Amino acid sequence: MKSKRIVPLLLSLVLLLALAACGQKTAPATEAPAAQPTKAEAAAPTEAPTEAPTVAPTEPPAPAAEPVTIQVYYPVAVDAPIADILQGYADKFHEENPNITVEPVFSGGYGDVQTAIQTIIDGGGEPPAVAVMLATSLYDLVNADAIAPLDDYINAMDDGKAYMDDFVPAFLENSRYDGKTWSIPFQRSAVVMYYNKDMFKEAGLDAPTSWETWAEAGQQLTVKNGDTTNWGIQYPSGWPYWLFQPLAIGNGQNIFTDDCHVAFNDPKVVEAVQFYIDLSHKYGAMPEGVQSVWPSAPTDFASGATAMIVHSSGSLNGILKQATFDVGVMPLPGKADGTFASVPGGGNFYILKGAPKEKQDAAWKFIEFITQPEYVADYSINTGYIPNRQSAFDTDAMKAYLEKTPQMMDAFNALQYAGAEFSIQDLGEVRNIFHDYLQKAYNDEMSAQDAMDAAQKDAEAALKPFCE
Amino acid sequence: MTVKPSAVPHHKRKTLLPYLLILPTFVFVALFTAWPTLLAIYESFFRQRLNIARFREPTFIGLQNYATLFTDDRFHQVVNNTLIYALGTVPISIVLGFLFALLVNRSLKGIGWARLAFFHPALLPMVSAATVWKFFFTPDYGLFNSTIRFLGYHGAENWTGNPSLALLAIMIVAMWKNAGYYMLFYLAGLQNLPTDVYEAAALDGANGWQTLWRITFPLLRRTTVFISTIAFIDAFRTVDHIFVLTSGGPSRASTVLLYYLWQLRFENQDIGLSAALTVLFVAVLLIFTITNFVLSERAEEG
Repeated sequence: MKSKRIVPLLLSLVLLLALAACGQKTAPATEAPAAQPTKAEAAAPTEAPTEAPTVAPTEPPAPAAEPVTIQVYYPVAVDAPIADILQGYADKFHEENPNITVEPVFSGGYGDVQTAIQTIIDGGGEPPAVAVMLATSLYDLVNADAIAPLDDYINAMDDGKAYMDDFVPAFLENSRYDGKTWSIPFQRSAVVMYYNKDMFKEAGLDAPTSWETWAEAGQQLTVKNGDTTNWGIQYPSGWPYWLFQPLAIGNGQNIFTDDCHVAFNDPKVVEAVQFYIDLSHKYGAMPEGVQSVWPSAPTDFASGATAMIVHSSGSLNGILKQATFDVGVMPLPGKADGTFASVPGGGNFYILKGAPKEKQDAAWKFIEFITQPEYVADYSINTGYIPNRQSAFDTDAMKAYLEKTPQMMDAFNALQYAGAEFSIQDLGEVRNIFHDYLQKAYNDEMSAQDAMDAAQKDAEAALKPFCE
Repeated sequence: MTVKPSAVPHHKRKTLLPYLLILPTFVFVALFTAWPTLLAIYESFFRQRLNIARFREPTFIGLQNYATLFTDDRFHQVVNNTLIYALGTVPISIVLGFLFALLVNRSLKGIGWARLAFFHPALLPMVSAATVWKFFFTPDYGLFNSTIRFLGYHGAENWTGNPSLALLAIMIVAMWKNAGYYMLFYLAGLQNLPTDVYEAAALDGANGWQTLWRITFPLLRRTTVFISTIAFIDAFRTVDHIFVLTSGGPSRASTVLLYYLWQLRFENQDIGLSAALTVLFVAVLLIFTITNFVLSERAEEG
């Protein structure tokens, strides 16, 4: 009977398809160990000199080169028309480089971009040539063998050293590992404090310069109105490590020391946790417990309902649009008088190793193009991100913008007090451990000391397979 | 609702056609359901971590991934949260859906608006709905706090930041979103009920409560079985609002199984452990679905 034969046929067809999918999946994985990062790197320089002269003569007739289309996966993390802006840059780039077409692909938030790329690589597909991912994802991306080092490209530039030195140093903190450069800063921000200068003036207060003067100002500017309160300070802690870091840095100890070691229970970090708790418990300057107020805090601040917020510099444009008072931007005060702290954040360009060489080359050209001072300035003005290159401040557009928006300069200046953003092996897991215990301390489920001791212990256990 | 076997035209000679008709479904189920499940079972016996260079290649470790899960305090907490979430949201949203259906199953003026009001949350994408709720849940002056304060409640207000309220907060959003969806099935069921039994009940002098409890509810049993199955699966599979509202926090208080699975797979990049969790996950859902189905079939016969 026909029907009886069709079933095994279908089954085998399905199995074949599945096997094909499986074969694709395992192929890159088995190649991976062979392509040890160190070996590949060692081989590259010896090849480069012999290749360069032979390639050079063929290059000048540019139109003869094969047309290439590359994709740029990017997230949208701020309130700005990123899609339109990037498409505009891609079009201009195409005008200058007719054989390269750049397709920006919106991929959700930062997490979604990384998830999408991981999924493509795991499935054996070809990843986009370039993606904007968190600067802090460095170790996971290197360990997964997902990204290509950029040193060959930088060294091939007319003055690669000057190019790299022009980037704001704080934004390069998480670009280097294992003696190589893996990412180029793109849309970068920093943790800053916004304060209502009018309220401060009215209350006869100066901008705070220490934990104590900060907490007291917060206390003084907290006003109860029946059931609701206009708080002196709003300090989001729904996803807390990033905003917490300036407290630890402001006490002289970041929460990690290198890619294998955390300093969660360092006495200075514990003291910083306690200070966050004190802001509510001791000073009554902000609400108690974990504050999931990331989206509402800028609005509260801009409407005058709260005097100070700790937030991303990326919220600056939105706040300035709404606020009818004089907006101050400053780094967070440190513990000792006259000390300050901040921490950078945001995304960098990574070139994906799984993309063909000619697409990687095209991707680098696009990165070089989009990090020209004029474009850096333009992107900053239109999005609120901090310019990632010092030379961007010399452009006319940036000068005109700073004239109108001096707060951007304050945000930039905050970076001189910045420590490195938390980036470590096994970042996702260690960060979740830190979040769990930090929030337990914030919510009074554990003392600051016990919580940080437990976090240190769990993090060390999680890091063991990575670092032994 | 169900099609009896006799309703299918009976041909003496079997043809290829029925197999061709199920072919697309068969291929999709095989490729996107059966195959990944088999793959997950296979991978769950291996240690493989994509973010550790020397563990990128899978190594056979037997049942160790399962052992790791069962001795992991976080896993216990997550299972606990998931049970509370499922056992809390499923019955309540089904009861709400049933009540809404009874309420709007009348020919009153403007009833269309009421139906729309109950149903519209089901139409919103969960992420958008959760973003709106994030503002509702704003501590202090948020709409949710203002409302319950108006109703006389003056207690804890930090819905998404308080470890004893965060899970409840995401449950509220899930119930708000799902009840209207389940209402739709009950409404369809109600409108298909035979009228003669109601006439008989009226003649016998049954009161409203008796009619509801002895006639309407039993007649809708198949609908209830269907809804409880999809509701239970939904409860396990919806996490979008958790990403938006709480990120599983504070301190994992609102982390449920699927969210934990995402963390293991995409944050920890632990293929083996996430595969083991997937297997347990699928097993629980299969057991529930089969039990539910068997019980309802047995009740049908009895």
